Amino acid sequence: MKYYLQLNGKILYWLLVAPWRKQSFKFSQVVAQVNRIGVDALPMVALTSFSIGLTLAMQGAHELQRMGAAMYVPNLVAVSLLRELGPLLIAIIVIGRSGSAITAELGTMKVSEEIEALGVMAINPVRFLIVPRFVAMLIMLPILTVFGNYIGIVGGWTICHFALDMDTAAYVLRSIEAAQLGDLYSGLIKSAVFAWLIVTIACQAGLQVEDGAEGVGTATTRSVVFSLLAILVANAILTGLFFFF
Amino acid sequence: MTSPQPTTTPVTHEDASPLIEVRDVVKAFGNRTILNGISFDVPRGETMVIMGGSGCGKSTLLRHLIGSLKPDSGSIKLFGEETTGMNEEGLDSIRRRFGVLFQSGALLQSLTVGENVALPIQEHGRVDDAIVDLVIKMKLEMVGLTGFEDLKPAEISGGMKKRVALARALALDPELLFSDEPTSGLDPVMTAVVDKLTQDLTRKLGMTAVVVTHDMTSAFRIGTRMIMLGTGDRQGKIIAEGTPEEIMNHPDPMLQQFIKGEADGPIPLRLSKGDYLKRLLGEAQP
Repeated sequence: MKYYLQLNGKILYWLLVAPWRKQSFKFSQVVAQVNRIGVDALPMVALTSFSIGLTLAMQGAHELQRMGAAMYVPNLVAVSLLRELGPLLIAIIVIGRSGSAITAELGTMKVSEEIEALGVMAINPVRFLIVPRFVAMLIMLPILTVFGNYIGIVGGWTICHFALDMDTAAYVLRSIEAAQLGDLYSGLIKSAVFAWLIVTIACQAGLQVEDGAEGVGTATTRSVVFSLLAILVANAILTGLFFFF
Repeated sequence: MTSPQPTTTPVTHEDASPLIEVRDVVKAFGNRTILNGISFDVPRGETMVIMGGSGCGKSTLLRHLIGSLKPDSGSIKLFGEETTGMNEEGLDSIRRRFGVLFQSGALLQSLTVGENVALPIQEHGRVDDAIVDLVIKMKLEMVGLTGFEDLKPAEISGGMKKRVALARALALDPELLFSDEPTSGLDPVMTAVVDKLTQDLTRKLGMTAVVVTHDMTSAFRIGTRMIMLGTGDRQGKIIAEGTPEEIMNHPDPMLQQFIKGEADGPIPLRLSKGDYLKRLLGEAQP
């Protein structure tokens, strides 16, 4: 835990303080990580969000139709995606895709002396390896979340349009009416917090690998499990905050 | 009456103080003492060879010199500055002045050969890309790897990785080079090339080198000073120090066995102690 807080401190130092004083992190590396964490995840995010939008609409329609309230399906889909399911699902996908990859990559580098070699070349590993991943994750997870929300809403539309005979215009209007800007913001705040947790937990687990290949495996598992736990707990806390305040 | 002193020092450098000063360095991992009071100096322009059997603490000693490990006690001075108590920032400014060749090469697998060599140059100065490109080509030419710039470390052999790592260590034209087993995994010709390169850099350009090796041919070829670390009872101590001639004629039997590469001697064939049969069969022996 102490090491985790230290790592957070170092990241903030190299991100916010050091660029003004001496060496800055490389922008090109941020771009490379943005591609790996964000752009490459688009197909998977799209598929997952679409299925969830679809499922939500079907489940909702099933219940709401009995009460004659099928027209509220768009509200259900939009609000639950924006506030809750969108941020959480995308975070889970990113943990599986990128959190694990970051831990495994850094862990392997640690084992093969690459991180030590960087240090000896007076290239700070936190500046060189961690900060670009941190920045990329903090930018890309909220963007992926917005993207996923849209695709999910499209998923809901397919059910409403083809199964419930709802007009496309009506679907869009109802969605816009139901979803407040606050819903979007609360989802985005969540996803920013999730991004922070995922990337710091993944980096810490990777940097602490000690015993060869087995250590890399254990660290990757730990990174995924801890990230999942952390975002689920953070989700509950944040939802509580938004609910009460 | 004093007769005129013969000039015994062949090379005189502007700065007479040694580049590296190691005093009474002690390091233990748990209750295993790896380094037990190591002291030596490396004067400017010399090539210091550190020898010793497996597990004698050669690599550990090197890690102390480059600031990766801190000794439990003792002092290490590089360029006249005490590094043992230094913070990361201070260490970084010293680290820019030396290059390190790791035993495994430690190239970044995600970068190409050329990018690996360019890394220290790009990180430590604002240099035009065209110049960086030129320097990469020059450094790769030195180690005989021209034309391999765009390959990934995974696509080249172990010996080639070693040479790329050497090119990277030399990228900033350091005053001081540390190499850990620079010739292991190289064929005899390449070993000679790397040795020749080290010799040229030290003798012509005045670079200082510290080389950890147990390749005796290479050690006697490049070394101008040598130390031998002991194993067993003399774990973590320097058992011999001197010029290559002094080492070659040193009376210590352990050292002689090491130089000649004999299987049995003061360094026993079976390193484990006690009754062999008892260890094999436990207490249940007939």
